[in-house]
Amino acid sequence: MTTRRLLKAVLGPIVSLIAVVAIWQAIVVWGHVPSYIAPRPLAAWQAITQNWSTLWPLTSWTIKETVYGFFAGVVFGIAFGVVMAKVPFLAKTVYPVLIMSQAIPIVALALPLVLILGFSLMPKVVIVAWIVFFPVTVNVLDGLHNVDKDLLTLSQVLGASKWRTFVVIEIPGAITPLFSGLKIGATYAVTGAIIAELAASSGSSLALYQHAQAGQLNAAGVYGTTILMTAIGMGWFLLTLGAEYLCTPWRRRSVARRKWRGARTISAVSL
Amino acid sequence: MSTNELLRLEGVEKRFGDTVALQESSISIERGSFVSIVGPSGCGKSTLFNVVAGLLKPDKGDILLDGVSVRGKSGHVGYMLQKDLLVPWRTVLGNITLGARLTRRVSAEDRTQATEFATKYGLGDFLNHYPGSLSGGMRQRVALMRTLALNQPLLLLDEPFGALDAQTRFEMQQWLLQVWRDSERTVLFITHDVDEAVFLSDRVLVMSPRPGRVVDDLTIDLPRPRTLETLTSPAFTALKATILQQLHRERVS
Repeated sequence: MTTRRLLKAVLGPIVSLIAVVAIWQAIVVWGHVPSYIAPRPLAAWQAITQNWSTLWPLTSWTIKETVYGFFAGVVFGIAFGVVMAKVPFLAKTVYPVLIMSQAIPIVALALPLVLILGFSLMPKVVIVAWIVFFPVTVNVLDGLHNVDKDLLTLSQVLGASKWRTFVVIEIPGAITPLFSGLKIGATYAVTGAIIAELAASSGSSLALYQHAQAGQLNAAGVYGTTILMTAIGMGWFLLTLGAEYLCTPWRRRSVARRKWRGARTISAVSL
Repeated sequence: MSTNELLRLEGVEKRFGDTVALQESSISIERGSFVSIVGPSGCGKSTLFNVVAGLLKPDKGDILLDGVSVRGKSGHVGYMLQKDLLVPWRTVLGNITLGARLTRRVSAEDRTQATEFATKYGLGDFLNHYPGSLSGGMRQRVALMRTLALNQPLLLLDEPFGALDAQTRFEMQQWLLQVWRDSERTVLFITHDVDEAVFLSDRVLVMSPRPGRVVDDLTIDLPRPRTLETLTSPAFTALKATILQQLHRERVS
């Protein structure tokens, strides 16, 4: 049952992945595209595997930037969203600043950050967080604003404190929009990391490696690096999706799993 | 003051700007009774409810529950609306115990009581279901169980069956009467539906707008338990006619 469902779930993505590779292969072979413009898929793949000992440290570095930046962005994103939802004055004053922050071209942001933080991991993490926090903030803010007003009234009539209402009603109510923000953030995170590497790296990084490959007219290396970067982004998105799946069981099940039912639930049969 | 009085409104008045939403009203509700309030929109029904629930502070007068003033205070009544307001991320059991979760810790007794209620009133098989998988009627049952679970003596029900189809509605009305009889609570019930008011109640208060006030107070002395036959009895029809005339006269004048 579970295996069949899993199979069903992965079948679609696998088929489309095969299709993309097939189309790529077809264009390169039948279009007689020279190999210095576009390699065959296998050549790009081999450019990864054959240089794995060089690529892995760079890749793990990029993953680190992506993940740290993502979590920093999520923490700030949620904090901004909650504070602005609860303090209307701050919503009016802080929101424009946050929007402004997103209008700054990331490349233009990188150099000041390098001046402040140097060529360490820090400026990359800041840039990724800078990109990730915004969709999180917007979605958390919307989620908190869209909690059913009647539900809040009910909570008040029942005698709940503001804090209890927030914890029991508003936070769970904002989980679905929160995950919308997280999914957008997850896809942007690796893009941010790569831009940051380009603009704020002195030594070795995946982005600079790709540049070097292009300089040597090694198309297989260029395409291979792109695949690697895409894989990081995809992997992170899938993990976010998995977290959403685990955190929102009510959206896909009609009956709660045993462990979600609470420790002391009494079964109806025993009464 | 009769010793059997649960709720008393003493000269309660509520204004919004120049509009008198509820004109100086004095109402006494007997313990264990079922009292309906009918009237057109804007007659002050909801204002009356919100004042009793403590959501609104009246400009004049006092509200006494069991002889104690609850003016402007909340947390002392059960409250249910047309919208079931079940939270999708909690199971049926979790929704029934929501009131406890919102005000204190959910204890084992809360869970046991919720399970007993749910089992007794036809929700036993659905305790661990999420509300998303329930029908409208089932959802309203869960909402009423949640309203009962806080063990407040007074329940305010604001058109709880307004969104249900006619057949489910009749089923739910009979079911509500059973729950009310078993639980010995006092019910204040808002409805647009005169049939529903007469069928359910011991007393019907007719309200009228501009300014919002109670214009009639009828005792419904139809025998209980009430059944399908009640709906077609001459006494039922006569009471319904009286209320409809009252509502109509108010609207024309």
